[in-house]
Amino acid sequence: MDGIMGMFLAIVAAAVATVFAGIGSAKGVGSAAQTSMGVLSEDSSMFGKMLVLTLLPGTQGLYGFIVGFLILINCGVLGGDMPTLGQGFAFLGASLAIGFGGMMSGFAQGKAAVSGITMTAKDEKNFSKAMVSITLVEIYALLAFIVSLLIVIQVPNLTF
Amino acid sequence: MKSVRIIALKKDRKRILEHLQDSALVQVKTGREAEEGFRRSDKSSQRKQFERNAELTEQALKILNKVSPEKKGMLAGFKGRREIDPDEIGRIAADSAKVIGICQKIVNLDKQRADYAAEQVRIKTSLAQLEPWKKLDIPLNTKDTATTAVLIGTLPKPYDNTSLSEAIAKEAPDLIFEFEILFSSANMTCICLFAPKKQRELAEKALRTYGFSQPLNPTSRTPEVKAKRQLDKSADIRKKDEEAEKEIASLAKYREKICETQDYFVLRSEKYKVISELDQTKHFFVLNGYVPEEDCAKLEVLLTKAADCVVEFEDADEDAPVKLKNNKFAEPAQSIVSMYSAPSRADIDPTPILAFFFYFFFGMMFSDAGYGLLMIIATAIAIKVFKPDKKMYNNLKLFQYCGVFTVLWGLVFGSIFGDAPLMFYKMFTGDDSIKTMQEFLPWPTLDTQKDALMIMIMSIGLGLVHILVGMGCKFVICMKQKKYAEAFFDTGLWMLMLCGFAVLGVGIATLPILVTVGAGIAIACAVGLVLTQGRGKKGIIGKLVGGVASLYDITSYISDLLSYSRLLALGLTTGVMAQVFNMLSNLFGTSVIGIVFMIIIFLVGHAITIGLNALGSYVHTMRLQYVEMFSKFYEGGGKPFEPFSTKSKYFKTKGSKEE
Repeated sequence: MDGIMGMFLAIVAAAVATVFAGIGSAKGVGSAAQTSMGVLSEDSSMFGKMLVLTLLPGTQGLYGFIVGFLILINCGVLGGDMPTLGQGFAFLGASLAIGFGGMMSGFAQGKAAVSGITMTAKDEKNFSKAMVSITLVEIYALLAFIVSLLIVIQVPNLTF
Repeated sequence: MKSVRIIALKKDRKRILEHLQDSALVQVKTGREAEEGFRRSDKSSQRKQFERNAELTEQALKILNKVSPEKKGMLAGFKGRREIDPDEIGRIAADSAKVIGICQKIVNLDKQRADYAAEQVRIKTSLAQLEPWKKLDIPLNTKDTATTAVLIGTLPKPYDNTSLSEAIAKEAPDLIFEFEILFSSANMTCICLFAPKKQRELAEKALRTYGFSQPLNPTSRTPEVKAKRQLDKSADIRKKDEEAEKEIASLAKYREKICETQDYFVLRSEKYKVISELDQTKHFFVLNGYVPEEDCAKLEVLLTKAADCVVEFEDADEDAPVKLKNNKFAEPAQSIVSMYSAPSRADIDPTPILAFFFYFFFGMMFSDAGYGLLMIIATAIAIKVFKPDKKMYNNLKLFQYCGVFTVLWGLVFGSIFGDAPLMFYKMFTGDDSIKTMQEFLPWPTLDTQKDALMIMIMSIGLGLVHILVGMGCKFVICMKQKKYAEAFFDTGLWMLMLCGFAVLGVGIATLPILVTVGAGIAIACAVGLVLTQGRGKKGIIGKLVGGVASLYDITSYISDLLSYSRLLALGLTTGVMAQVFNMLSNLFGTSVIGIVFMIIIFLVGHAITIGLNALGSYVHTMRLQYVEMFSKFYEGGGKPFEPFSTKSKYFKTKGSKEE
């Protein structure tokens, strides 16, 4: 029973990491894409720059997905051993970091990206400044990701 | 950078300016008043004419692109400008009047088409107005006959035969009338009413109580005829429009000529801009400009060969622009530096340092030997095939060098298209005994997933090196400016302190003695900082408080260092994404269909991985340079060197040095 419960928790953990971080990125990229399409309707030659700025809030979803994937290959779904109850809880705890860190930073980065896009639309020379400013938000998603990651790779060694 | 003053005879002006423009060696000083005894010749009206012409060609090109888009390959953007003989410019100049005529024609035709489109809209509205009157077989403005009054118009409510006759009868019981309802909808009824002529007023009064109004623009033709006329007119205009479109399309063959002519006028207007900046007397002129130090000799030779002239060099003033000059390895990264800001005169050129770390960190984040190899090959082919201009060439080179480091890091992390080699090996031999790429590859590798902690420490260690190099630059700059206190106390002590922490960290992992040493260094530096950082403040207490407060800066160094953990995060992302797609492509087995699916998923999946992660690596490397390293020493704010050149978009003259 413990094993099944552990497995269940691990799968929930994979879902939490992927879904919540994904929500953050989806919202961020979505609003950035709307703005950039507005800009492109005026001047389609900026497509390359707009694409870069639009994609910046997309990494959170990627981090969430990677944590989810690492959980799956460590919990017996795509490899690894069936987790104990304790390990299941550990997975769940790990997933919360990137899940919520990713979601909220995705929202915030999306807003920053929208501003960056309007700034670049006014003068293309602002592009690199916009890009760097948008990336400033990303560090918080990264920190969350690294915490999740460090826990997930240690979980198979946990014995409780 | 040197200031240069060129003095020559006015008769040689054209030749000298042409040489300068072709060689792109000199930036002309602008915005100065003429020196005493000299005049300026005002060429702004000619320049405006050239600019107008250039604008006209641009307009014409836009119209051409709309009507008959140029067939361009997806990769055409890499292509360099066409090289032409200097003599060809003469031909372009001779043709320019004709080409401008063509452009004017294109623009006029386009204006006509806009008028046609407006006319079509007008016709459409008038047809819509006629629509309810379709059933009426007499003209809308039919007058009364000898005995009968004719009233044609609309009522603002829906009626049918009964309700209308009831309504009229109620309002005017004596009225003799006959009517026809032509159209009825929720908010309008079109009617045609007949009554004896002597009862006209009565009829009008009755109808008016129900809101009767006459049609807006009555005509002397029946609505049907009128509608037909409008339709004919519309067809006619459509035909004319098509003809105009065809005519524009037929002019598309001049596209290349128009491009050349545009370049020609841009070139001329650039030249006239310079002429307005020349100090002139009756017989000679003086040109003041900047020239990079290494080009001085070249310039002198070039000009003395071209004409009799005097070329004087002197040290440049404060406002001199900056030209970055680097070796082949660092040159591609110049664009990254100029994207931030050109170095000011106080700065040292950060390009060589930035170049190395840029390639290095990009490689670490992208970290896949397969992808790196693809980058190297793709950029090499692009350079070979398209012969791109200098700027594009440098961008391609940038990615080529990044590719080299990507391969190296890919080998270190044991990632070649993710775990593709292992997957294929397993798939076709059925040997399941090897589990990871680390076991599969013959050389020792790091596993981004299993050794994540170690790689993170390594990332932060590399970050420390990066930051220390940045601070080292600050140290050198301060020494150069003879600000020794700043160099040793503000920069040196912090560098030592960071080193102390590094030793301490290494000590925790290995030798306990190093812990003591590291802690000793750090504490000594901290004491040093407390003693020196408040030196600008007044009073002993102020100095001490300032010193202690400065220790708070440690937080910014810690956050800077932690920022380098992205090296691990992005490296891992690439590896895992590649692995996921390999796994997906492997799902369908080794049947024929399975292999087809495998190839498709493999190609698409890796294309996605490359796209997303190359972007991420590029952006994050840039951030590490701009935010973490540049903040330590780089001021920027210099003006980039913009030489007097052709500024052409489509052609460049053979042998021209312009970038």
